[in-house]
Amino acid sequence: MELVLLPLIRFAIGALSMGVGRRSRFLAVLAHLCDAALLARIALLLARGTALDATLGGWADRVGIGFSGDLIGLPIAALIWGLAVAVSLHTWKDELRAYFYVLLHFLIGAAYAMVFTEDLFNAYVILELLTLASFLLVGYERKPRQIWASLRYLFLCSVGMSLFLLGIAVVYYHTGTLNLSALAAHVARAPAAPWIPLAAALLVGGVAVKAGIFLFSLWLPAAHARAMPAVSALLSGVVIKMGVVELFRLAGVFPLDLTFTVLGAATGLLGMLYALQTYDMKKLLAFSTLSQIGYLLIGFGAGSQASRLGALDYAVAHGLFKALLFLAVGQAVACVGSPDLRALTLNRRTIPRGTRIAIAVGILGIVGIPPFAGFAAKAVLESGVHSLFVHAMVALISVGTAASFSKLLPLLSVRSAARCRGATVSAYAWLGGGIALFLPLSATLVPRSILSASWHWPAYLEAGLALALGYGIHRILRGRSFRLPQRVFRVEEGTLAVVAGVLIVFSLLRFA
Amino acid sequence: MGAFHGVTIAIVLFGIGVLGLVIRKDLVIKLLALGLTNSATILCLVSLDSRTPGAAPILVPGVEAIVDPLPQAIVLSAIVINFAILALALVFVMLLVERYHTTDSARIERETNAEEETWS
Amino acid sequence: MIRRETIASASRSSAVLAVIAVLLVGLFCVVVILELGYSGPRPIDVDRWIRVAEEAGATNVVSSIYLGARLFDTILEVLVFAVATLGVRFYLGTRGYKEVVQSIPESNVVRVGAAVLLPPVLLLGIYVVAYGHLSPGGGFAGGVIAASGLLLAAIALGTERINARLRPAVLHGFEWGVLLAILTLATLPAPLSMPLLSDPLPSGRMGSLVSGGSIPLYNAMIGVKVFLSSWVIAKHFVDHRGEI
Repeated sequence: MELVLLPLIRFAIGALSMGVGRRSRFLAVLAHLCDAALLARIALLLARGTALDATLGGWADRVGIGFSGDLIGLPIAALIWGLAVAVSLHTWKDELRAYFYVLLHFLIGAAYAMVFTEDLFNAYVILELLTLASFLLVGYERKPRQIWASLRYLFLCSVGMSLFLLGIAVVYYHTGTLNLSALAAHVARAPAAPWIPLAAALLVGGVAVKAGIFLFSLWLPAAHARAMPAVSALLSGVVIKMGVVELFRLAGVFPLDLTFTVLGAATGLLGMLYALQTYDMKKLLAFSTLSQIGYLLIGFGAGSQASRLGALDYAVAHGLFKALLFLAVGQAVACVGSPDLRALTLNRRTIPRGTRIAIAVGILGIVGIPPFAGFAAKAVLESGVHSLFVHAMVALISVGTAASFSKLLPLLSVRSAARCRGATVSAYAWLGGGIALFLPLSATLVPRSILSASWHWPAYLEAGLALALGYGIHRILRGRSFRLPQRVFRVEEGTLAVVAGVLIVFSLLRFA
Repeated sequence: MGAFHGVTIAIVLFGIGVLGLVIRKDLVIKLLALGLTNSATILCLVSLDSRTPGAAPILVPGVEAIVDPLPQAIVLSAIVINFAILALALVFVMLLVERYHTTDSARIERETNAEEETWS
Repeated sequence: MIRRETIASASRSSAVLAVIAVLLVGLFCVVVILELGYSGPRPIDVDRWIRVAEEAGATNVVSSIYLGARLFDTILEVLVFAVATLGVRFYLGTRGYKEVVQSIPESNVVRVGAAVLLPPVLLLGIYVVAYGHLSPGGGFAGGVIAASGLLLAAIALGTERINARLRPAVLHGFEWGVLLAILTLATLPAPLSMPLLSDPLPSGRMGSLVSGGSIPLYNAMIGVKVFLSSWVIAKHFVDHRGEI
């Protein structure tokens, strides 16, 4: 019952915010406190071993909506809460209208519901609510660039959700149920049934549009780069993870290991290549999100418990440091006036010290320096991976990440002269604390055996080598610039890419 | 057999909608194509679970062969969501057309990217 | 010369795109149709649904599903609607008009006809909402019927007259109040030690107007909310016509 209380309270506070008007940010604090209490209670119940699976409303299993609290759900719910608090802190002095807070509360409430739901159609409605709320948030400042970027986002997500609904139609026709556990039983009983590849391809393809996978989510760079910093942090940290959570849940039903490995490798490498060639720092962060989702998929596709836990850990870690980077880089861009790297480097004295420290902490996290969040999660992930190919992929992505983020290094190296605006240090401290404390926090979730197995010297060696190689590549590429085709990010090519992606996933499931 | 024809038509309409979204440059036509895609999905849902000697799922005394009510509940929600998406997409199209005085998506794309050309 | 080349290459690349699109989407449709595996209507378990309907107390089985067993989906859907209204009002509502768009001057027949027809349409909407648990309809359908009636009256008589009666601020308060009421009813079972989102009210005699527990209440609240939201969305679009 507590599980569904989380979203319901958020929705109620969202509705109340409309009436409260200018004081909504204080009401938001009340929401965060309620959520914290509920999350603590859920964690306690789970630790004590109480099963939190229930059908909403007390209806029978085959009729109602199933909710379940498990290990996948709770860390992501904690991440959602953490990012909600960070956004509140970051926008505290911004005098945002009640409209922003209403959308924020609805988005966070929908995210909580997504994390715990076990029902396919419920997932569909939640994803649509997430799409609409985040679409409106991207266009909050009404700049034409943002309006166009979010319109493209809406077009692609709507097509993706239609594909998802087609998948639901096929699944319901053949099995008569929408519950994921019941579906898993059906698929396990008849794994070679002819409808499974198509249904899985439609469902996975539909969700992949929201999950930040390269071929499917070509709306991502424009939308994340052009939104206001708090919204970009929410998008990269929360909304993307909701698609990923649904993918993880689908992986428990359909045999998606090969698909995840292929998609993860593709998005990791392509995202990294695009990140290397861009000079727009916010686009860099967006491409890097695409690339990091590759880790998550590869980890889940590898199949072992350690790699899956590592993927989950990395999802939380990535949410933390990507949000921190978006907030900090966003403020730097606001101070300088342009997201172009060359302009930022020229004017780096105007960037406040707190912002530069935040960028540094974020880079430490994403690049995988021990003992911070990125390294810890990646170590757990890699300890569960046994194929050389997958290790090579992960290493390659790490090298590329290091190379891309080396571009930000010149920004950090100078004492700042003018103070631009230092009001958001609290948000940075909150997120930075999360990154630093990640290791002891994750130790509660990951079993001791996996944890100790992951901290071997190969992990350190690999991290160090990746850093060195990455920096080296950055120095080599510094003089020259290369351009990859930018046409693929238009609506037209993006939609075709989604259709092609569904066909690719279908072929992987049918012929492999 | 009629239901299968319904499903085939629904998928073909879905394909036409996606094609319209991709090939046509006019924003309003893109919007219409999106609406077509969404409606085709709903048609597919309804056709898949239809049966010929069937009755509405209302428990009137004497009615035995009711149709499956769950897809109808799904379709109810899907229709409302499609309406909301179209309304909001239309609002954004209106904003863009007011700002750029054209419904050509290629021109809007060019003008929006113009200032970012130097960075990307 | 350069301009012509650019245009020529642009149309060449869009021709290539069109060909690729047709091939890809065509392949997708063929794959879906072939792999669907349709083999006649599914056997359904009628008794299960009859039991659900009896437990909810409504003869309309679909009502007992989307306002009973899958109430959470419906609440989320109402939120989607509310977000849509919010968005429309935020972008279209706060800008000044360059000129007041006059209503199209209609003949007396249309004006009088609209004023005469409005009450029956509203009554029809109320009927569809009230009998939503006994016959097809429910909150969404009834709310949209009533809102369409109001919209047609607004087009015929001018939105200024309707706005004078239904002031936007009052509508705003009602809308969000009804949303809060829906959420409150959903959480009401909790203090009564029943699971959340279940039905705390007793279901009466099946088939009568007062039956179905909280289902008619939900229908009424959703009907009011959908009516107000649809009216607000339609009003904003109508007010902005002819501005380009």
